[in-house]
Amino acid sequence: MKKYALLPFNFIETDGKEVLINELGDMLVVGVGSVEKIVKRLPIDDDLYKSLVANFFITENPLPPLLDVYASRLKLKKGFMDDGTALHIFVLTLRCNQNCTYCQATSRDENAQRCSMTKEMMANAVNLMFHSPSKHLTMEFQGGEPSLEPDLIKYGIEKAEAINLTEKRKITYVLCTNCRNLTSEVLEICKKYNVQISTSLDGPDFIHNANRGKADSYQKTISGINKARNFLGKEKVAALMTTSELSLNYPKEIVDEYVKNGFDGMFLRALNPYGLASENDDWRRYNERFINFYKTALNYIIELNQNGTFFREEYATIILRKILTPYTTGFVDLQSPAGIINSVLIYNYDGYVYASDESRMLAEKGDYTFRLGKLSDKYEDIIYGEKVRRIAKIWSNEVLAGCSNCPVRVYCGADPVRNHSTQGDMYGFRPSSLFCKKNKAIIEYIISLIAHRENEVMPIFKSWLR
Amino acid sequence: MTITVDRRIYSDKCISDVVYWLSYCYTLERTIDGDFEKITVTSDGGEKFRTEFFRRLNDCKLRSIIETETKDIRTILYAKAFGDFDCLTAEEATE
Repeated sequence: MKKYALLPFNFIETDGKEVLINELGDMLVVGVGSVEKIVKRLPIDDDLYKSLVANFFITENPLPPLLDVYASRLKLKKGFMDDGTALHIFVLTLRCNQNCTYCQATSRDENAQRCSMTKEMMANAVNLMFHSPSKHLTMEFQGGEPSLEPDLIKYGIEKAEAINLTEKRKITYVLCTNCRNLTSEVLEICKKYNVQISTSLDGPDFIHNANRGKADSYQKTISGINKARNFLGKEKVAALMTTSELSLNYPKEIVDEYVKNGFDGMFLRALNPYGLASENDDWRRYNERFINFYKTALNYIIELNQNGTFFREEYATIILRKILTPYTTGFVDLQSPAGIINSVLIYNYDGYVYASDESRMLAEKGDYTFRLGKLSDKYEDIIYGEKVRRIAKIWSNEVLAGCSNCPVRVYCGADPVRNHSTQGDMYGFRPSSLFCKKNKAIIEYIISLIAHRENEVMPIFKSWLR
Repeated sequence: MTITVDRRIYSDKCISDVVYWLSYCYTLERTIDGDFEKITVTSDGGEKFRTEFFRRLNDCKLRSIIETETKDIRTILYAKAFGDFDCLTAEEATE
């Protein structure tokens, strides 16, 4: 065995195996005790040695000959930093026609006044969006219930289309709706401008209705989904679920509901501590239960795939993309530097720009920490302003205590908004952070599946990435 | 309960890291005495605490060796990947 130098890597232990993880997120599964042998230069077998060299864990030269390749791959992993903000969320109104028990957006009654965006605000917001250098722009309409404001949707899209005649960006339009009010007018707009529908389906009727606070909610959502599919095409309708306390008891039933309704995937999404959801009395218990819920549901989804039904879990897919491909993901919650501002901006009905969806939810509770400026302000003053510069000092998990030396850091992200809202400061304290606990548990679980059930799960995981 | 740690074996970084993670559940007071550090646990952790403390300390030591040994190559790697120093003013570079 030649003399070698170590390259940066970290490791986790999982049931009798060690998993080495380097700065690129490449993994190598080895036997327990291997790390100690590698570090102390004790004898290791030839095959392991070759794998360690080939996968950038050790080097036979002080400066590895492929260092430039390594650096290029690292740059690619952080590619979203050069791309500019791609996701632009337009919160059209707080008006809503449902009464969700965990509403994170602090929605108001359907007939409420003065809680919708004006056309002037929309025009300013669209102009700001085009100041982002991103070649791909996603213009996402949220609420409240944005389908209650069809004129505003149409106005915003037409404004964007007009500007795009010269800008030539690739624009994706998304309408986040509960599907209760998918009128012909709304659907015509969607058809004309190729708008995708993102709706909420929490599971079978008894879960969905309980979560959404109306007895007919499930039936309305399903008929809305079918109506949208018939009018726009099946591929234009996606659904998201939110895991309420009640949902935690029914992981398999919720997955079955998605399969039954013809979806080929779902996002097992935890509740976030904003809006009404922040009033949950025991977040620690919820977090523990959610982790178990997630594992049960993921295993069930793997089983479905083994039995011939292609069905993807989206959160796992994001993590797998980080583990198994050289590319970055656009998922805001698992980015470092953080997804806020870098990957998403919020144009709110109140006339202000916010750092993330959660930031505007905090504003409804009177906390304007992440309000970045007015919709009428200059883009540069918002994006390069004092507030953003202050947030930027703590938005990379590479420099945060408790994160910088975490073995799964490369797959995880930083979330100053969550730290601020749950712990009272943007920097955060990892030992008590539920964001940290949940992400670490799920990432480590997915790694353990690869380490212990490789032959069984890898063909399925790879199929999710295609 | 007081635990004595030999600072010639375990670096300040390692001890600090372990104290950081355990400080959520325990109140810990650190006192340096020559080559040794005394860690006083004001809430009663018992033998379970001692075992957990040294498990974490030894785990951290291994990670710390890798981190220390690869510090320079990591700096070079990040500089190659993201270095764009021409664009920075002297003031920004030292900020």
